[in-house]
Amino acid sequence: MKLLDKFTATTAIRDALQRDGVSPTAIVIDQILSPTEALINGRRTLLVGTNNYLGLTFDPDCIEAGRTALTRSGTGTTGSRMANGTYLEHCLLEQELAAFFGYPHGMVFSTGYAANLGCLAALLGPGDAVLLDGDAHASLYDGCRMTGAEIYRFKHNDADSLRKRMRRLGAQANRTLIVVEGLYSVLGDIAPLADFASVRDEFGACLFVDEAHSFGVFGNKGGGLAEQLGLLDRVDFIVGTFSKSLGSIGGFCVSRHDELPLFRYASRPYIFTASPCPSVIATTRAALRQIGARPQLRTQLWRNAQRLHEGLTAQGFTLGAAASPVIAVRMGERDAALHFWQRLLAAGVYTNLMLPPATPDGGSLVRCSVTAAHTDAQIDTVLQAFRAAAAQSVTATS
Amino acid sequence: MSAHTAIEQQLLAILRHYANADANLTATTNFIKDLTLESVRVLEFVVEVEDAFDIAIDIDSLSDIHTVAELAAVVARLTQDRPA
Repeated sequence: MKLLDKFTATTAIRDALQRDGVSPTAIVIDQILSPTEALINGRRTLLVGTNNYLGLTFDPDCIEAGRTALTRSGTGTTGSRMANGTYLEHCLLEQELAAFFGYPHGMVFSTGYAANLGCLAALLGPGDAVLLDGDAHASLYDGCRMTGAEIYRFKHNDADSLRKRMRRLGAQANRTLIVVEGLYSVLGDIAPLADFASVRDEFGACLFVDEAHSFGVFGNKGGGLAEQLGLLDRVDFIVGTFSKSLGSIGGFCVSRHDELPLFRYASRPYIFTASPCPSVIATTRAALRQIGARPQLRTQLWRNAQRLHEGLTAQGFTLGAAASPVIAVRMGERDAALHFWQRLLAAGVYTNLMLPPATPDGGSLVRCSVTAAHTDAQIDTVLQAFRAAAAQSVTATS
Repeated sequence: MSAHTAIEQQLLAILRHYANADANLTATTNFIKDLTLESVRVLEFVVEVEDAFDIAIDIDSLSDIHTVAELAAVVARLTQDRPA
């Protein structure tokens, strides 16, 4: 077998997706028009498959902050945080993030993916153990696998499964990291974080929570699920991303542990990459202020999520979880899901298609994500598109 | 029946839930090549095996385990190593 022969299987997967029309992996947004609309294939399309939970990508204050930073500080830093890439604004954002959670320490990374890799790489090493939720994001798996630590998987959102494995580790339990997410991005289900915190306390382990999809979404201040559940003093490390509720790109970690600043010396994904550019830091800081100052964004987000969830339930769809800004519609077989997704797009509604093995239980999903910027009329348009696509499915199979 | 064979039989019974109904399962069955199990399904299978034998299997070690017999050897070692 030659070096490039391994791509034969990938070619087959790509071609199968393209064979029946528009491929879900080949969507090009010709022009983004607002947090909720874009031109796709020349058609004005309603976006219900972004991670723009608070709709801040076109916020005037964020745009102005980015424009000012671009003019004042230039287009990029051209260097690592450990060399010429630390500007005052990087440090200010780290302080502001830490203060947002009431923690002493914060650290900024160039992407959310790098934040997970960077923190896990610093935290774990040979002789340590990590207990990873079965549905944890690829970045968490990848980060753990970089470290030489022993990796054990427990059943998704199952504190008893976690506890059993913790017991099996024996004396190693107190050098174990429990890794979970707040809101899971495929089915839209929420972690039983209080139960996981109890296991953490029982065994003297550390708890690492990825709030990528829950930061800005949960909590009185928008800090995420740990804040909402009053668990900030029982979580050891919180990571998150700027590319969802904050409408930018980058990642962060905050902690009450004084060791967090030392991650800078032990984290290759932090050291060996360029730091976020000034305009990105500026828009992120502006968006963080918006999250703190405008709780009405979260109120609207949850109102929209409830409206869409109730509407889809009333139409008889089987949904992945209770109402949250991520609403996954179970579609059964792969081809049925692909064709349903294509019908929605043809009707001017963009959603996400999720196929095995990227889905937790082997089924196929059409995933919607709601933003605070959606109007009632837009949610109703989505519901109408689902109704019409389902009617077409019935016609096609009869 | 030897202890090793007994472990293999128990693994095959668990694996039956993950394989197609008509799949021929033996100690030399390869999870990926013979059963075309997605890697995620293999991980779910391993979690069931851990609970059945009250052991913990490092995910990284799975890259060297392809068959029921190979997994049985790991299970045998881990159950022997388990503290009394």
